[in-house]
Amino acid sequence: MKASSQARLGDIFSYLFMAVMLIFFAWPLIWLLSLALRTRKEIYLGVARLIPHDPTLENFQAILSSSQFAGYLINALKLSCLSAVGCLIVALPAAYAFSRFEIRAKGAWLMGLLSFQMISPLVIMIPLYRYMASIQMTESHFGVTMVYIALAVPTATWILKGFIDGIPDSLDEAAMIDGCSRFGVFWRIVLPLSTPGIASVFIITVIAGWSQFLVPFLLITKDNLMPIGVGIFQYAGTQNDSSLQVLAAACLVSVVPAIIAFLSLQRLILSAMTAGAVKG
Amino acid sequence: MKPLADTPRLAVDTTNASAKAGNRPAAWLMPLILVLGVFYLYPVLDVFRFAFSDITLLGKGEQVTIETLIRTLTRPELAEILWVTLIFTGSSVIGQQVLGLAVALVVVRGEKRGLLGTNLLRTTALIAWVVPGVAGGIVWKMLMNGAPFGGLNSVLRLFGAAPVQWLSDPDIVMWSVVIANIWRGTAFSMVVMYAALKAIDPVLYEAADVDGANSWQRFVHVTLPQLRAAIMVNLILITIQTLNTFDAVISLTGGGPGRATEVLSLYTFNTVFRNYDLAAGAVLSLLMLVISMSLALFYTKFLPKEARK
Repeated sequence: MKASSQARLGDIFSYLFMAVMLIFFAWPLIWLLSLALRTRKEIYLGVARLIPHDPTLENFQAILSSSQFAGYLINALKLSCLSAVGCLIVALPAAYAFSRFEIRAKGAWLMGLLSFQMISPLVIMIPLYRYMASIQMTESHFGVTMVYIALAVPTATWILKGFIDGIPDSLDEAAMIDGCSRFGVFWRIVLPLSTPGIASVFIITVIAGWSQFLVPFLLITKDNLMPIGVGIFQYAGTQNDSSLQVLAAACLVSVVPAIIAFLSLQRLILSAMTAGAVKG
Repeated sequence: MKPLADTPRLAVDTTNASAKAGNRPAAWLMPLILVLGVFYLYPVLDVFRFAFSDITLLGKGEQVTIETLIRTLTRPELAEILWVTLIFTGSSVIGQQVLGLAVALVVVRGEKRGLLGTNLLRTTALIAWVVPGVAGGIVWKMLMNGAPFGGLNSVLRLFGAAPVQWLSDPDIVMWSVVIANIWRGTAFSMVVMYAALKAIDPVLYEAADVDGANSWQRFVHVTLPQLRAAIMVNLILITIQTLNTFDAVISLTGGGPGRATEVLSLYTFNTVFRNYDLAAGAVLSLLMLVISMSLALFYTKFLPKEARK
């Protein structure tokens, strides 16, 4: 009897805490949506018009029909997808090797790989900016993609190694007895079986690429090459209170693709990440 | 006769060689080593070289000197920058860790007792986490608009409170930036804490129940000690993430007003790309590296022994 009333009290506190947290996490996004649906007049009415009396899609129309913004979005999509593919090409063989081969001081190599994450992108961008400027690799999507790949590859390798570890070694051996080469094993057995891992690494890298700011901010100054992260930053710098609704719409447009990509594979991505974090 | 005999042997040799290469890890690791070597190791070595020179982003002539090192580390504003960085990083990390653990506990409890909205809370937190840093900064800037119609001030007005200058009052702005950063970062800690909570052996709780422990005692004597390794790993990761945070600050406050929110990463950026002082920027990035590494080492000291591998 006492235990159950205590549990009920606990439930009430849980609900209270959950409500406060839900408001904290959701409020900025609700506000963003609310602003994006308002007309210019209603911007100045604050929370009284949380649900606009006169909702409009004009702001989205303005954003999506401008070739400038469409360009930002396409550039961001291109850069993040290309870098995700490139990242897989680099990380998959390495993950396979770390999982299957006997490598001297393997633990140290893997820890070393992890420690790359301690290095801020800002640190490496300082010299990289100079090199890339000297070989005319700035203002190029290729150069930016290569840097994205380098930034994403340590985590990707780590996650993929975890997935390949889960594929029984005996499959490799059986195939090799049947005359399959190492590469054949990798290509025909390990890759198809690690599809969930590949999918989550792909999405994680796409989201990371979509969110990138520093690298393209430094390497790209031409408006028609900019990805959305830089585009929206520059755009926000030119706006004032009277055009908040358009900025809100632009911001929402830049955020939604990342959210959709994440929600599409939420469980898979989370399990891939926590496996890494808990082991790490 | 001879050429005929030679050709097949040559072919056999190459297949052998390629098969051998396939069995050696080096071939498989080569792309990774190349990418990391070119884009990480070489630049980092160069940062060391720059730090001991007087190089600028514009000029060419460069000399080996330790003068830059001394000059940069004794800049009068550096103490202020480091203080700002400490407050920003420390508060964000504590906030994210505590909130992340609290939300994870509630989510685990909610799942066990079938409370409504558990999934909604988790997903909402995760959505905040996926929002790109720049966009997050812009969103919070709109929310923290100092005018009476801002997203927070108009709520305050409902309760009859005066508008707060979230981003222009130097005494408040740091907390505004910290709140925005906690908003974005908490979900990561929540995910790590959730996985760690799920991994605790239920037998431990049963034993605690047998001993008549109340829920607070169970939390302090079972949950927290079992989470120790996960908390330490999480602290390392979020401390480094926060130290390197740059995009969310530049789009929210740009470091201002004055230098009130100019964290070390932003200061380094400004030194290199606004003042073109490459050598000083290199010194500052070394400082960032040293801080990250010493913090990581410091945290590993607290890792339980078996997890230290």
